[in-house]
Amino acid sequence: MSKLFNTTGVWVTMIILTIFTYSMGKFGYSGTIPVLLLLLTVLIKSTFIIRDFMGLRGVSLLWRGIMYGWLWIVVVSIAITYLMSTH
Amino acid sequence: MTESTGIKTEETKLLPGDLAIWFFIFAELLVFAIFFIIYSIQRLQHIELFNQYQATLNKESGAVNTILLITASYFVVRAVQSIKEDKVEQCIKWLYASLGMGAGFLVIKSYEFYSKFSVGIDLNTNDFYFFYISLTFFHFLHVILGMIIIFAVIIFAKKGKYSAKEHTGIETAASYWHMVDLVWITLFPLVYIIR
Repeated sequence: MSKLFNTTGVWVTMIILTIFTYSMGKFGYSGTIPVLLLLLTVLIKSTFIIRDFMGLRGVSLLWRGIMYGWLWIVVVSIAITYLMSTH
Repeated sequence: MTESTGIKTEETKLLPGDLAIWFFIFAELLVFAIFFIIYSIQRLQHIELFNQYQATLNKESGAVNTILLITASYFVVRAVQSIKEDKVEQCIKWLYASLGMGAGFLVIKSYEFYSKFSVGIDLNTNDFYFFYISLTFFHFLHVILGMIIIFAVIIFAKKGKYSAKEHTGIETAASYWHMVDLVWITLFPLVYIIR
């Protein structure tokens, strides 16, 4: 039962974060802080997918390293190029 | 490893599903990562252009599609949980539900493409549309493949191929589907929102 609650809780949280992302765009929020917040939601949602939905929690560090490595490289690259665009 | 003395040491979980699908997943993620980074660099070089044409995208469609994919992933997780409890029928229902979400995504995304193509926008229009169309279409194809894999798994499940003891095929399909969702979670804010 607690596993179901955790999975459902993760799903609901991701939907809320999606609505947050959409709202940021809809109301025209732009700039460093909003974009960093958006990238934070990407990190959170992606971590939920990798850890809870893909079920990589407890899997060997190699595989988790590849997945989280992919995530962080992508997000940090986007952040860096965005920050460069504002200067 | 359980030793002959009966003492259990901490055991690392195996990757869910077939190992081969994970190599495929890693390869696909690498391609999308390169695509995302190139998009970001191009945006850096054409900020005004990207901001201008990003505003023409339908954020509502993007948001709804994100929710559909996340929900499809949730249904796939529920399907895996069901088969682990030997509830084959329930597993199949959850998989059908995930296909429904995927179909919804394809319909909305197809309409988005139509709304652009019908006014003459295509890959050659400008850099932004080149990336928007190619990135989202490439992802679109992955959604289709994910749905085909899930449908194949449904057929096998109906034939009684899966159980609590053996359900590698379902976990394999699930792992691929979650990758498709994972990519969109980055794609939506990057292409539709960040400005």
